[in-house]
Amino acid sequence: MIADPLKTQSAAKMTESPQHSVAPVSARHDFVLEVNNFSVDYGVGEDMVRAVNDVTLKLRRSQVLGIAGESGSGKSTLVYAMTRLLRAPGVISSGDVKLNLTNEGDPEEVTPLSLVDASERELRNIRWSHVSIVLQSALNALNPVLRVSREFNEVLKTHRKGMTRSQRHDRSVELLKMVGLNEDRLARFPHELSGGQRQRIMIALALALDPELVIMDEPTTALDVVTQREIINELNDLRSRYGFAMIFITHDLSLLVELADEIVVMYAGAIVERAGASELYQAPRHPYTLGLLNSFPPLHGERRELAGIPGSPPDLAELPEGCSFAPRCPFAMQRCRHEAPPLTNIGDSDRSVACWLHSGDPSVRVPVELSREMNPSRTRVTALKERT
Amino acid sequence: MTDRSSPVQLSARHLTRHFATRVPGKLFQAKRVVRAVDDASLDLVRGQVTAVVGESGSGKSVLARMLARIISPTSGDLVLEGTPIPARAKRTLEYASKVQLVLQDPYASNNPVHRVRHSLERPLLIHGAQKHEVDDLARAALSRVSLDPPERFLDRYPHELSGGQLQRVSIARALCVKPDVLLADEPISMLDVSVRLGILNLLKGLCDNEHLAILYITHDIASARYLADEIIVMYAGQIVERSRGTALVDTPTHPYTQLLIASVPDPSDPTSMASQSEEHSSFAVPEVGCRFAPRCPFAMDVCRTSDPPDFKVGEGHTSRCWLYANESEAVVEMALPERRREGETTKT
Amino acid sequence: MKSLRLPRSPKVIIGLVIVGFFIIMTVIGPWLAPYNPSSTAFAPLLSPSAHHLLGTTSLGQDIFSQLLVGARATMVVALLAGLAATILSMTVGIAAGYLGGVSDEGLSLLSNVFLAIPGLPLLIVIDSYLPVSSRSNFFVIGLIISLTGWAWGARVLRAQTMSLRNRDFVEAARIIGEKRSRIMFTEVAPNLLPVLASSFLFTVLYSIGAYVTLAYIGLTSTAVWNWGTMLYWAQANNAPLSGEWYWFVPPGICIALVGTGLALVNFGIDEFINPRLRAGGLTSRQRRKLGLPRRIRLGLTPVIHSTQNQAVVAAHAKLVSR
Repeated sequence: MIADPLKTQSAAKMTESPQHSVAPVSARHDFVLEVNNFSVDYGVGEDMVRAVNDVTLKLRRSQVLGIAGESGSGKSTLVYAMTRLLRAPGVISSGDVKLNLTNEGDPEEVTPLSLVDASERELRNIRWSHVSIVLQSALNALNPVLRVSREFNEVLKTHRKGMTRSQRHDRSVELLKMVGLNEDRLARFPHELSGGQRQRIMIALALALDPELVIMDEPTTALDVVTQREIINELNDLRSRYGFAMIFITHDLSLLVELADEIVVMYAGAIVERAGASELYQAPRHPYTLGLLNSFPPLHGERRELAGIPGSPPDLAELPEGCSFAPRCPFAMQRCRHEAPPLTNIGDSDRSVACWLHSGDPSVRVPVELSREMNPSRTRVTALKERT
Repeated sequence: MTDRSSPVQLSARHLTRHFATRVPGKLFQAKRVVRAVDDASLDLVRGQVTAVVGESGSGKSVLARMLARIISPTSGDLVLEGTPIPARAKRTLEYASKVQLVLQDPYASNNPVHRVRHSLERPLLIHGAQKHEVDDLARAALSRVSLDPPERFLDRYPHELSGGQLQRVSIARALCVKPDVLLADEPISMLDVSVRLGILNLLKGLCDNEHLAILYITHDIASARYLADEIIVMYAGQIVERSRGTALVDTPTHPYTQLLIASVPDPSDPTSMASQSEEHSSFAVPEVGCRFAPRCPFAMDVCRTSDPPDFKVGEGHTSRCWLYANESEAVVEMALPERRREGETTKT
Repeated sequence: MKSLRLPRSPKVIIGLVIVGFFIIMTVIGPWLAPYNPSSTAFAPLLSPSAHHLLGTTSLGQDIFSQLLVGARATMVVALLAGLAATILSMTVGIAAGYLGGVSDEGLSLLSNVFLAIPGLPLLIVIDSYLPVSSRSNFFVIGLIISLTGWAWGARVLRAQTMSLRNRDFVEAARIIGEKRSRIMFTEVAPNLLPVLASSFLFTVLYSIGAYVTLAYIGLTSTAVWNWGTMLYWAQANNAPLSGEWYWFVPPGICIALVGTGLALVNFGIDEFINPRLRAGGLTSRQRRKLGLPRRIRLGLTPVIHSTQNQAVVAAHAKLVSR
């Protein structure tokens, strides 16, 4: 009776768009970023609060790593400290962050750089040209008294010294086109642009120097759903064209399931679960992940009462003994209140979880919600996210 | 008209609010009028949740503030329990005791220098409670929003509580005046994901158990579907689609509603990734014709010349779109009178 | 509100000690004074000695006693004026900022007029119209000084109030039906406490200057001893030219010290409201201990290497070099 015009339209669009080839990936050095036993504190001595606790993670080239967590989970602190951008009183108290940069002459050659030991000069060299960051509030990130063209000019002038004026202009136009903006936006001031346009410009700026790693800290949280959808699609497209790796931070787990290859769920400064996006969505193993997934009311199906997660996110200064999630966990056992579970692989699989339910102890019965099998027929349409 | 037994607690009739703004950069030019809310009518019914869904700039918050009478409308009327309230009259204490508004950001809406006790005792004292009973009443209010035990929260400062707890305090403060109508302006958008459902369920409980009429304003259509008995979608100051029940989400008819739903991240629907990625969100709202026309993939000539009325597309389901002009006759006065009659019949 | 911390910064501690010292002097100074400051019983122009710690004036008055007794008048007038000016600027500033519209324009005009009129000449004009009897009255002098010193604070408070006016908690108070006057003074004003405190300190500082100046040019009653009258008599008797430093330097130092003390305490308020000034959260001692740079730069998160860690690294390096 009532037509569904949108579906037909989007289908038409899909057939039009050409399939982009995936950028070549260095076979020898798979990981662009390796973080080992990384801890970050706020303050020192008695007032010290540990915001990130012993985090280990790796990011493959051209992949999207999603970091999900609530306020105080340490997700933003982690990436800011990782890139040494965190302000004092934040201090890195242990661990290492290794960035494997490809050499300009020979893409097969890779130079590792420890960001923890790097000097200010080295950091300045890699920031923006190799690692760039897009922040949540593009509103404040753009200088209100500068035209957009000036922002592009500054970046290119600083990092690409050989470029002439007209080359810089051409590159700016190209970058704007890349993020779906018309070139007349170059002459605008930030206040003349909408939130979505500003965020697109931030993304274009972040990509200006062909970085190998782009970090996005809640880039769409301040935007409307429709704009968020546009930006996410844009990012997916750009990434499959240019092959940069991406770390995407958000509190919106359902967004990550669509966007990321691998998802890390953080709670109270530690990783509680790490798994491929489909695995995490279809077969969560940590009770917190399950709770988060159940906290989003569905758009389809029967309306039924959902419970969410009882209690409030923890205060990092007063973490409970044992597992930090135990006080809110419906499956908490005696052991959880005394011993903190380590992040361990589940069986032979590639995924890991920090929960005593999955310790392999035969006396522990894993609840059915947390032992669901993957349903192969329900994996996401891979054509849309074609990657190696 | 003044039917006291009517379950409609508060209704808005053709509420309109225009703001005059200066065109930037042009000092002596004529002011431009921003039509924040145009001709919005709705009924808030006892024991029901009405959800208003819209993006920023859709006018949903202005609508809530007009209903709370914090902002006065340019035109249109409010009818509180059958008694019309003139648009220009001053907001009375009595009105405040009937209609309360909960704001979006719990961190900002609780004064950082006052304890929770102050936030709860002030509305009690203003609305006629005796000095000796306020302590008990404040405790009771905290229990009502599941902040137990109340002693743990009464003497805390806002910065000592989490966002979810603070939003519960804000709701408790609104409940202290014993309102019949609770307006909630994006009550969960600033909260952590894991505590959002708790707040939604609290609102649902107030509606089901204490029969408050609740207006739930949100940009999250999934949460509207979860909570609401009636859903209204606003775009650029206008109500573009409304339905009783979840019909609007299950079978959206207006192109904007369809776009909105397609944009929601939905891992269970793999095709949701396939919607368009060009920039659509930057079109100016046109002066004439349908306001969504510049973004609409189905825009016809008629859309650019005349503003569509509401068309009936289903039972209790209307859509402000010319696409449905052939399928039904225009419902000019919407389904509101019908609803009122229905309410009376259930009463008798 | 945040629980009160003891100030960590040495600046603030020094400031508090100085101001505390003069407040004690205000209270007990007159009792400590060894002689009547007006008594001319001694030999004139004695140099400082054990009997007369700061010597005597050309009339044979004990300067040390004058200094101690004079502290009270100076400080009391300054504090009174500071208090009155702060109350005035709070009322005008918050009302203008919160009410807006015509009230704002009227009140702003008033404070702008007071800002534009040069304070000291106005003070001199008003003061010279006063009957001589009231020139010795602390309250009258204090109020007159406050009249010329409130406008600046009112401007600052108006601006602050305007930024608070649209905050959600103000709207929340309106929603529950709170009255305007209550919103202004119980919801808005407490949030302005740091600004109020700072404005109070500066008006006290201003008032000391204004009172001393009035006394120095002879416009207050010479029957009341304050540091300004001391300077007045020293000047009138050519003390600076004839090298009697002990007559005019001590009151000068006292005035400068009180001023310095108040300014230092104000640093504490800044530190209290603006956490960024708190040296990035780490005290300099903590930073030294950790071997971190003295200045923590933006975009360079400090790294703590525990000593154990360093030892391991060093041992490893040795092995490699071999």
